[in-house]
Amino acid sequence: MADAEEAGATASNEPMFLISLALNEIVFVRLRGDRELKGRLHAYDSHCNLVLGDVEETVYVVDDEEQGDEVKTVKKQSEMLFLRGDSVVLISPQQ
Amino acid sequence: MSFFGFDTTLPRDRALDRAQQSGSRGMFDQHDPFAGLSRDGGDEGEALNFDETYDGLGRQLHESGDTFNDDTFGDDAPVTRQAVGRDFDFAGQTARVRDTLLEEQTLHHARQPMQQAQAPRPARSGYEAYKQPEYIPKLEADASIWGKPVNRQPTAAAAQPTTQNVPAGRKMMSLEEVEAMMHAQSKPTPPVQDNERQSQGLRDMLGLGSPAMPQHPPQEQQRPTQILQRPQQQQQQQQLPIQQPTPDHSLRAPQILQRQHSPQPPRPQSQDFNRQPPPQQMQFQQPPQVPMGGAPPVQPPHVRHQQQSHNRGPSYSGPPITQAQQMMQMSGPERDSYLAEEAKRAKRNHKIFLLSKNNGLMTPQDKNFITRIQLQQLLTATGGVDNEPGSDQQLAEDFYYQVYAQIRGGPPRSGPAQPLNQFAQTYLFQTGSRYGYGRSRHHPRGGDNHVQRMEQQVARAVEAAKARPKNKHLIMEGSLGKIAFSNSKTPRPLLNLKRADSEARMRHTPRAATFDRKAALRDIEKMYSTLMRLEDHERKLPPPPHEDSAPDVIEGHMRWRSQMQELNQQLWESLKVMEPIQANPTSPHPFIQILSHGKGKKAIPRVFRHLDDQQRVTMLTLIVIHLDILDVIRDAYPAADNTPLPARVKEEVELFGAAVMPPLFSYVNEAPLNIIIGLLGLALDRVHVQGLVRTKVGVSMLTMLVSRAELVRQASAADPTQTEDVQQWQDLYARLFDTVEPVLPYIFPTDTSVSAADDVYVWQFLAAMGVGATPDQQQRLVIGVKDRVMETVGVSKTLPGEMAARRLGDVNLFMRAIGLDVELLG
Repeated sequence: MADAEEAGATASNEPMFLISLALNEIVFVRLRGDRELKGRLHAYDSHCNLVLGDVEETVYVVDDEEQGDEVKTVKKQSEMLFLRGDSVVLISPQQ
Repeated sequence: MSFFGFDTTLPRDRALDRAQQSGSRGMFDQHDPFAGLSRDGGDEGEALNFDETYDGLGRQLHESGDTFNDDTFGDDAPVTRQAVGRDFDFAGQTARVRDTLLEEQTLHHARQPMQQAQAPRPARSGYEAYKQPEYIPKLEADASIWGKPVNRQPTAAAAQPTTQNVPAGRKMMSLEEVEAMMHAQSKPTPPVQDNERQSQGLRDMLGLGSPAMPQHPPQEQQRPTQILQRPQQQQQQQQLPIQQPTPDHSLRAPQILQRQHSPQPPRPQSQDFNRQPPPQQMQFQQPPQVPMGGAPPVQPPHVRHQQQSHNRGPSYSGPPITQAQQMMQMSGPERDSYLAEEAKRAKRNHKIFLLSKNNGLMTPQDKNFITRIQLQQLLTATGGVDNEPGSDQQLAEDFYYQVYAQIRGGPPRSGPAQPLNQFAQTYLFQTGSRYGYGRSRHHPRGGDNHVQRMEQQVARAVEAAKARPKNKHLIMEGSLGKIAFSNSKTPRPLLNLKRADSEARMRHTPRAATFDRKAALRDIEKMYSTLMRLEDHERKLPPPPHEDSAPDVIEGHMRWRSQMQELNQQLWESLKVMEPIQANPTSPHPFIQILSHGKGKKAIPRVFRHLDDQQRVTMLTLIVIHLDILDVIRDAYPAADNTPLPARVKEEVELFGAAVMPPLFSYVNEAPLNIIIGLLGLALDRVHVQGLVRTKVGVSMLTMLVSRAELVRQASAADPTQTEDVQQWQDLYARLFDTVEPVLPYIFPTDTSVSAADDVYVWQFLAAMGVGATPDQQQRLVIGVKDRVMETVGVSKTLPGEMAARRLGDVNLFMRAIGLDVELLG
């Protein structure tokens, strides 16, 4: 709370402020390693560590053994999730 | 005469004594240097001159053994201070280790209760037996091998345990024993069981034989030489009171059993397996047990047991007494209880084994290493000494914990105010006692070395943190660049944005066109940050000043109040309630936009308590004016095809009911009638009420206003000053009634069947309407909802008891309001 306060009070024009706009909203997060998350953003910090709720994780797997290099998707559902910021590529609000 | 034979008599007495001391004068009989002296002098008080007394005894010594003295002690260099050394500075030495001593003391005190709680583990040095007064160490042949009648020792006989002692005696078994025993129970010819061998060995050793077997002694005769070193102490003999089968003693090899059986006082049957090494296992340890110091101090006892059982080796071959045979001779219930006991024990031992599987994987050094890392983390977690204890930053560090602790009413936190050093020290002492225990005896300095080292480490870390410059950059003299410091709390800035510029640019963006979603989100964030600053400020409320408090206290309080007011104003502005209401807006009012987001709704209860009455009524008015464009009403109109509302809308409606309604309700509940009249009038003028009543939030709002008005009206019916208001209200009520009446049949939720409908809020609204209605209006009300009433009553008959009662109760809210009851409907 105090962190968010500082971020909001002092830096309404800095990049992280855009993330604060997405608080409590559904966001789409792309991660390294061909993963994507979609969930409600509960908290974030300056490292892009995120806490997401009701998350759907999508993993794209290329199956080498099968012919044609088909991309398969594996979906996982999590109620609450802490995401370490170093794997975040992109955060986007979901309309 | 003195002990060493010196003559202590004074010279003047000597003459007297001389007659009696005829030649019996100790070892200095021959050379009495003073004898002649006293004889010569005889004069009282004569000073003794050494030269006169020296009789040249030294010259009589034969100097033979000092030839190599110089080689041994060095040559005849003059003795200097340096040569002497300064080892005698004991006080200085002690002062140097004073801290350690203090630690030792603390540890010792800390350990006291622990030692009392757990029966102290006897330190088995192997020499305990010698402390026993009755102990007579001698080799003694077993009397039974000569076929002599067994000389039963009363003490041993007395020590024979009764049945109750069986568990105590047999509890301590290693896993191997348990397994062996289980084998024994399953196989007809089981392997030799340690326990039984031991107890038999004990019996042999004591010359008891098998007490219940009369044919035993003759068989003992067949034994070859058996020499037992036998302590004659009291032994707590763990022996089963079961009948021993006749063992084949002739197979027994000559054996020497070295006994080092320490007298063990009967201990309470502690469940603490690890603390009590099984005595039986100890008995057959061949080399007298090495004093504990040899073993790694933290090696878990369990492992030690295993080693012991491995060490036992083939040197022992006791009488082959089999479990099965014993079991056969047990009586029924005895056997049952015995088996149950065994099973229980096996289970427990297995559990202990599983738990202790990883014991001893980490050496004390490993553990210390981890502890040091943890300590470092503790130090760096607070960012060194950047944040003063008790400061705002310190609070911000664990803001959530602090608030949580306050909410939960937890124990007062000694937290941030407590100096870090002290904390670290507490931590250290706790760890120290863990390490120190059990090893300090044999390694008096061992455990504390780590503690000491850790303490030094902590001290160094604190020093380093203090020494670290406060500013983020350090420009070394003569260097080209500057060094930037960073920690987890204040990462090294990679970009240095100039804020003022961008702030100015922001203002250029046209404001009018930004009434979109993003603008609303921005407004919400700004509102939240203002709100949090306000809440933060509230926490810093200084104690209320008295008349006689110091001027600066009063001044501080005044300053706080003015700040509070300022923040309050900011909050009010950030809510955007006072934004002008456009006659024909292209986009909703900013405040309504804020309310259309979940987080905006959630902020309302928090904001509401900071607002004054005027601000509250303004906000409520704004909401009432825009009721039909609130998302929870606009999006919640029942669909034409009776499809249920989307889950998102339902969620928002729920949230609005849980977050926004209660504060509004609490305000309305205390509002005077004229405000209610004003609000309802506005609603009737500006809002499409017929649509409103088809949504849950709309109906709830109307219920809130109408019921409050009815309450006030009834309370002030006799008050002549209120008659005008009451009259005005009745006119307004009639207008509302006329507006709502046509849609009465449609105000019930349609997305679910009657039996499952959640329509209690509708019945509440009807009840509120019914209370203030004239008889004529009541009749029209009943006609409007008659179908639904009958339907619900009919459906409730098919529902299970509790649900039916609930549904009827809902309907009754309305029926009772107009003086009816569902019972009347049959």
